[in-house]
Amino acid sequence: MIMRRRRWIRTGSLVLGGMLMFTLPSCSRDDSEGMVAVSGKPGRMKSAATVRAERRAFDGAPPVIPHEQFTADCRSCHTPEGLEIAGVGYAPPMPHGNTSGMSAISRCRQCHIYSEADDLFVENGFIGLRQDLRHGRRLNDEAPPVMPHPTHMRENCLACHSGPAAREEIRTPHPERPLCRQCHVEEVTTDLFVRS
Amino acid sequence: MDRRKFIKTIGVGGSVVAFSCAQKKEAEEIASRDGKTNPSEFTWGKAPCRYCGTGCGVEVGVKDGKVMAVRGDQASPVNKGLLCVKGYHLPAMLYGEDRLTHPMKRGADGKSWEKITWDEALDLVAGKYTEALEEHGPDSIAIYGSGQWGIHDGYAALKWTKGGMKSNNIDPNARLCMASAVMGFVTQFQSDEPMGCYKDFEVGDDFILWGNNMAEMHPVLFSRIMENKRNNPNVRIVDLGTRRTPTTDFADMYIEFRPGSDLALANGIMHLLLKNKQINHSFINENLVFKRGIEDLDEIGYGCYGDQAEHYTFKDKLRDASLGELEQFLEDYTPEKVSEISGVPVQQIEALAEMYGDRNRGTVSLWCMGMNQHYRGTWINNLVNNIHLLTGKISKPGSNPFSLTGQPSACGTVREVGTLSNRLPADMVVMKAEHRAKAEKIWGIPEGTIPAKPGYHAVDMFRALMRKDIKVMWIQTTNPWVTVPNLNRIQRKPGDGTFVIVSDIYPTPTTDVADLVLPAAAWIEREGAFGNSERRTQQWNKLVDPPGEAKEDAWQIMEVAKRMGMGHLFPWSEDEWHEAMFEEYRSFTTGHGKDLASYKQLKETRGLTWPVVDGKETSYRYAAGHDPYVKKRSGVHFYKAKEYGERAAVIIRPYQPPPEEPDKDYPFWLCTGRVLEHWHTGSMTRRVKQLHQAMPATYVEMNRSDASEMGLKSGDRVRVKSRRGEVETVVRVDKRGKPPRGSVFVPFFDESVLINMVTLDAMCPISKQPDYKKCAVRIERV
Repeated sequence: MIMRRRRWIRTGSLVLGGMLMFTLPSCSRDDSEGMVAVSGKPGRMKSAATVRAERRAFDGAPPVIPHEQFTADCRSCHTPEGLEIAGVGYAPPMPHGNTSGMSAISRCRQCHIYSEADDLFVENGFIGLRQDLRHGRRLNDEAPPVMPHPTHMRENCLACHSGPAAREEIRTPHPERPLCRQCHVEEVTTDLFVRS
Repeated sequence: MDRRKFIKTIGVGGSVVAFSCAQKKEAEEIASRDGKTNPSEFTWGKAPCRYCGTGCGVEVGVKDGKVMAVRGDQASPVNKGLLCVKGYHLPAMLYGEDRLTHPMKRGADGKSWEKITWDEALDLVAGKYTEALEEHGPDSIAIYGSGQWGIHDGYAALKWTKGGMKSNNIDPNARLCMASAVMGFVTQFQSDEPMGCYKDFEVGDDFILWGNNMAEMHPVLFSRIMENKRNNPNVRIVDLGTRRTPTTDFADMYIEFRPGSDLALANGIMHLLLKNKQINHSFINENLVFKRGIEDLDEIGYGCYGDQAEHYTFKDKLRDASLGELEQFLEDYTPEKVSEISGVPVQQIEALAEMYGDRNRGTVSLWCMGMNQHYRGTWINNLVNNIHLLTGKISKPGSNPFSLTGQPSACGTVREVGTLSNRLPADMVVMKAEHRAKAEKIWGIPEGTIPAKPGYHAVDMFRALMRKDIKVMWIQTTNPWVTVPNLNRIQRKPGDGTFVIVSDIYPTPTTDVADLVLPAAAWIEREGAFGNSERRTQQWNKLVDPPGEAKEDAWQIMEVAKRMGMGHLFPWSEDEWHEAMFEEYRSFTTGHGKDLASYKQLKETRGLTWPVVDGKETSYRYAAGHDPYVKKRSGVHFYKAKEYGERAAVIIRPYQPPPEEPDKDYPFWLCTGRVLEHWHTGSMTRRVKQLHQAMPATYVEMNRSDASEMGLKSGDRVRVKSRRGEVETVVRVDKRGKPPRGSVFVPFFDESVLINMVTLDAMCPISKQPDYKKCAVRIERV
């Protein structure tokens, strides 16, 4: 099992870095857009959202490492800006900033693991929370949307909202403005202000 | 980053990544699906993590009676929102399709299972215990519990065994895990558990890890140290070990010692501290006494050979000693001599002593199984505590000896409730009449109910089961057939005349040999409380229903007790007993420096570190200004050590060699342990897809030179064989850990490779904790 998967990774045309890769088929605006080819199955496509969901147990769980480890230090490719690696793909930056005083630079592999097998010990009926793909609420069409998700462990907005790895529907139209929080706030409650 | 370059990167990427209509469709489709994607419709409840002794706070997202997500609890002072990979994958642990859902009795053929009702099951258990008590007396029954028991489970079991059945035959898997740390603290401070807390990780300067692979085993706590190091480049991490681990990659100094020679190393550090006049005389004069125990190797033994292979008991006797005697004793432990025993270069020994001796730096010693699963576990605990005592680096923010626990409530349940064969709640022991009397009074039972003689310790309990001295044993929340050392001695078949009951949530090698299996409710399927490594008691509410007819361990015990005519021990309403039981238990702790918070306060907080007096928690025990029991203006007061004049004891302990060492026939050291992805025997974590697929099977980790000399490479199948037994597994070279030449490591989570067939059942003479970290094996190609 292990060997088969390794070979798959080494020889497969699809090398997955973070979210999406150069290997996305170029296509016009039809239904196949935003789809990722399924390795070894010509013509089979998966949506980017599905690929994202497959890499984590539920929305909020750390994604598994979708590629064989290339270097001992993950950060040599997953740099703060992300890195294009010729012939391999784009390694997106980490979304983690310094979270609640906990180091985001400690040990990647205490949360992100690499799958060495594709069997199961026992079948499991767990159904994980799916990603909430609704837009952030905004006051009016011109107002900046509030952030529709918490920023804990995701302090570096541009890691997911810009660059080659960013999914189209969440990509910022203005990546040149890196101070996201000056306009976008996190919705920590849906309650309204009440004078006490 | 240069902005122009950044935009260019975006541009390049943008042309490659395709625009998605399908994604939008999927998004709309997902969003419209019964609101399942809207986290705000979730109920988020709080709970401590189910797995290790760190006790991370998690928020548990529940919808329609199912757990669908967890997230690190940002309000928790333990983990501040971070989890490790096991923690992030917690919810799936509940939903393996082979969850035990009904009581099951072994069929007449000794193999099949027969589904029975709870009434039948409870009557059967009560009948077996009653019969054994009547025919063979209180020594013939046993309950084997767990550091994963919630506080209520442990308390119910303790009260039923000692207060109901008049037996002390209750012992937990924590005997295999934490007993040496307990006896270390008890012999020196006359009170168990560390004086420091996790805040030490932010304020300490030097972190000395004694055989502790923290990056894998306590990852979130290690992250706190790493964050301290990131903010303060002067922070140093020293990794003392018998093999290189992922922790070593982050260490400033790696010190590799021969198995067992940590005893010599610690003495060598003290030798240098004395020689270099780096001990703290005013602290010593004010706060310490000196003691010395029995050192005769023949008298002590190892608890596994000859006469000691059954009924092993040893009682240490501490006599008065002095600083002068210590100095004289330490003359033998020169750096050169210690280097010869340990293989550690003199320079490294000196560097380590210099760290401990530096008065301007806070030093935290950390340990877990490396020091506890040790043939002289209590001794090495004593020696490391000694170093902190002699330098006065104790009960101070950033300076403490800190034993980390492996299980979520090894502290809260086993050590504090006292579910050990010799203990009672709040540091009390069955050997003392006034302690028994206090328990009998609180429990409202006749004087003389609790026997004075300690029951079987874990290893001897299983030996007694095989001798059939024990007729009935109930095992809860643990999997001893994957963990008891030298399993060859414990080859049981159902229906052998004894009766074994197992309460668990999944089938395991332990349920495979049971006569009766009872389905347990897990974690947030019931209400409960755990106590973590830093004395923090954490409560949680029931958040979902257990599957089928599964019931929590405490309920199972109380129902059996009622059927045995011991219902008076549990006089609470069937629906509302958790708070009442906890408050009764709490009455043991108040006024003794072990004061727990009220159940009500625990419900409202992310846990509190005891002693909790007037609702306020204590970060540093024995420290003036922190601990309400200390009336001094400054310094420390070891007020629990009544027999030592309220001083802590420095205990003189020598180096003694391991019970078994590699030789011509068995040329390798074997060390066993855990891996990041799996919790203990893997009965929960292996059922989680992501964790299983990352670590599907165990392996034997070898040194590259050893492997290549034998013509072995990663993936080759080999036998790991000792004088006791053998297993077959695959070789791994240069993957996660790197043992030195002549040494191998095997993780124990894999029930198909029972490495406990190979390990030796030698143990610490004082704590009776077995040593899983060193025995001799050979490697044979299959």
